[in-house]
Amino acid sequence: MIRDDFTALGVFRMRPSDRPRQAPSFPLGLGESGVYEIVEDRFGDLPAAAGFALAASQHASGAVIHVQQDRSASNHGRLLPHGLPKLCSKPVPLITVSARRQRDALWSVEEAILSRAASLVIGEIEDLDFTASRRLTLAAQRCGVPVILLLPYTREGATAATARWRIASTPSARNRFDPYAPGATRWRAVLERCRLADIATPFTFDLELDHETLSLSVVSELAADPAATHPATGQHKANGWRQTG
Amino acid sequence: MAGVRPDSQKPPFVLTESGTHGLRIAAANKPAIALGVTPGLSFSDARARAPHLLSEPIDRKADVEALHQLGLWLIRIAPLVALDGEDGLMLETTGCAHLYGGEEGLLAELSRLLTRDGIPHQAAIAGTQAAAATLAHSRARTVLPVRGEVEGLKDLSITALRLSNEAETLLRRFGLTQIGQLYEIDRKALTRRFPSKSQAEAVMLRLDQALGRRPEPIRPLQPVAAREVRLACPEPIASSEAVQYGLQTLAEQLCAELAEHGLGARGFVLRAFRADSTQDTVRIEAARPVRNVKHVLRLFAERIDRLDPGFGIDLLLLEAHRTGPMSVSAIALSGDLAASDSDPVVLAALADRIQAKLGSDCVTMDVPQDRHLPELATKREAFTGDLPPAPEPVKGPRPLRLFETPEHVAVLAEVPDGPPQRFVWRRIARHIVKADGPERISPEWWQYQAPPPRAPSPDAVERRWLSPKLDRRADAQQIAKIRAELEAEDVGIPISNLPRARDYYRVEDTEGRRYWLYRDGLYEDGRGGSPNWYIHGLFS
Repeated sequence: MIRDDFTALGVFRMRPSDRPRQAPSFPLGLGESGVYEIVEDRFGDLPAAAGFALAASQHASGAVIHVQQDRSASNHGRLLPHGLPKLCSKPVPLITVSARRQRDALWSVEEAILSRAASLVIGEIEDLDFTASRRLTLAAQRCGVPVILLLPYTREGATAATARWRIASTPSARNRFDPYAPGATRWRAVLERCRLADIATPFTFDLELDHETLSLSVVSELAADPAATHPATGQHKANGWRQTG
Repeated sequence: MAGVRPDSQKPPFVLTESGTHGLRIAAANKPAIALGVTPGLSFSDARARAPHLLSEPIDRKADVEALHQLGLWLIRIAPLVALDGEDGLMLETTGCAHLYGGEEGLLAELSRLLTRDGIPHQAAIAGTQAAAATLAHSRARTVLPVRGEVEGLKDLSITALRLSNEAETLLRRFGLTQIGQLYEIDRKALTRRFPSKSQAEAVMLRLDQALGRRPEPIRPLQPVAAREVRLACPEPIASSEAVQYGLQTLAEQLCAELAEHGLGARGFVLRAFRADSTQDTVRIEAARPVRNVKHVLRLFAERIDRLDPGFGIDLLLLEAHRTGPMSVSAIALSGDLAASDSDPVVLAALADRIQAKLGSDCVTMDVPQDRHLPELATKREAFTGDLPPAPEPVKGPRPLRLFETPEHVAVLAEVPDGPPQRFVWRRIARHIVKADGPERISPEWWQYQAPPPRAPSPDAVERRWLSPKLDRRADAQQIAKIRAELEAEDVGIPISNLPRARDYYRVEDTEGRRYWLYRDGLYEDGRGGSPNWYIHGLFS
């Protein structure tokens, strides 16, 4: 209800006059402009959500400001610069802002948007309410800075953001050179809410990231390989198991 | 002064300090001294001389703290203030005296301010620190002309030089009571008469410093500002609006001054001097030199509320620290010509604002290092406006997210070097479907020339002797331990103290989550027991 009212006011349309109206192609302007929420499907899927965000984002080159709440860093670790070239083709010069409280993190995100210094602002926060999302959306529209919010699985309810994706990690593709090794990364991305596309939400994409070309492609359920065999049944003969650690 | 009774009407009062021979008098007021109670006297003797003596234990820590606070307040007179012993303050007045109409005027202003607040004091001005301290202790309110030390100190008592008690006694025994007598004396002959050479040297050093023959370093309480502007308030102010207005005036003045010299500053300090001889300080830091009034005021805006005006502020002082040339770059005409899409000045300004609110070192960047271990391959550094360089490509797989400290996991794996089959992390068992590896990352042996300090024994107290009770098992353990220690000392560095090689595996569980695990060491590598497994990162 609320969403429809606001859409009618035209507050949250992505500058309809500036851009020629065209069918938005995947990933629907992610990281180009506006605020995108990327939510983990279950606890532990946040690395997949971050990977999807960085692989699919279409931001300009330049500094990327990553605002991270301390609890998220202890739960899911910090972004490692050496892991980024495996996801994005452009260099991502990261500036990290660590905030303890959610309010401080949101303030930092807004401040980063308003400074117009970054080409992308990534906010890794625990939660935000509708007012905060609306405020960030307005700021992002005014300043033309794209924002990606990485949120935990608890994120539900109304939002003023352009779209909300929910990402789950799925078994990787078959590795052509070693059947026992993980292959190309695959995610299941569910588009839960979207103000841009007139397609019916939720809509599910099964995505695969080619690590050589760094291109995201949509794979169908049928094309996916069956789960690979267990490594112990292959060349690794069980000659003595020991509980360690 | 109203409210302050003359000394003669006050009751005798002393501060006591407990020493090796019981309570002693550490300090006494004038009525007490008039009764014959002098510092150094034992408290029972003092009680006998003055039965109505009031006393309290001395708190030297609080004294030093109060002196420190007074020193900070005196920055309003001269920018360089240092502590001089336990009861003195030293001000470097070079270039300040003309503001008060000469050195006599400066001394009078200083006395007026301190008397106003009821702080008893003795002050003197001289060309060297030691001479000024000597004069302040023996002949206050004196202003020695430059190079007048030899004449000025001639007839003062040697006690004013503040030598050690033994040296003073010794000099008095030689009949040397005045400083002037030390000028012409044969130094070698004097040195021979002291019990040690260093004692004689201490006396000569103090004398030479007083006469300006040897330098005396000064350690300021606060780093001296590169530039400062001040605003004296005709009436003490207490409202935040007034402080805000004063700050704005000062910032405009200081930034104009910096612009005139083509400089920017990386630190700004606002000092508010209260009317009751205390002060409060607010400081801000910038990532790179700045002189933009708006930016400086915005950084102060987060902190200015913490300024406590007390009973009113009568002087505001804004200092610029760590000044440096500003890099004013022309804006690139087109985006293609620009070296980077991000303006370092704007980014640095953003970092300053965030740090002013959330606290320092919360804006960081990971700078690549030439190191092997993944946690050392990048170093967290404070953001200064320049973007971090891209990391060198690595051959092996690297996760998207890395844990700052690897977390221990319980693993079921094939020995000696198979990939894990199953592991328990955060109390959840994960079954591994696919695995890749190992990638061996060797420890950086050149970092470990000396063995790291031994971990404390688990039962906190190291057992040194055999058990008094008959416990053969414990005795055997103790003997084996001592033997191992002796053997370890024989071969130099014990091999078990060196770090172990890590074997990293990229694994994927049934749910498709990808982890980066490592085994810390090999089986039977002689560096401890069977190796542990850790989780170090998460793949996307």
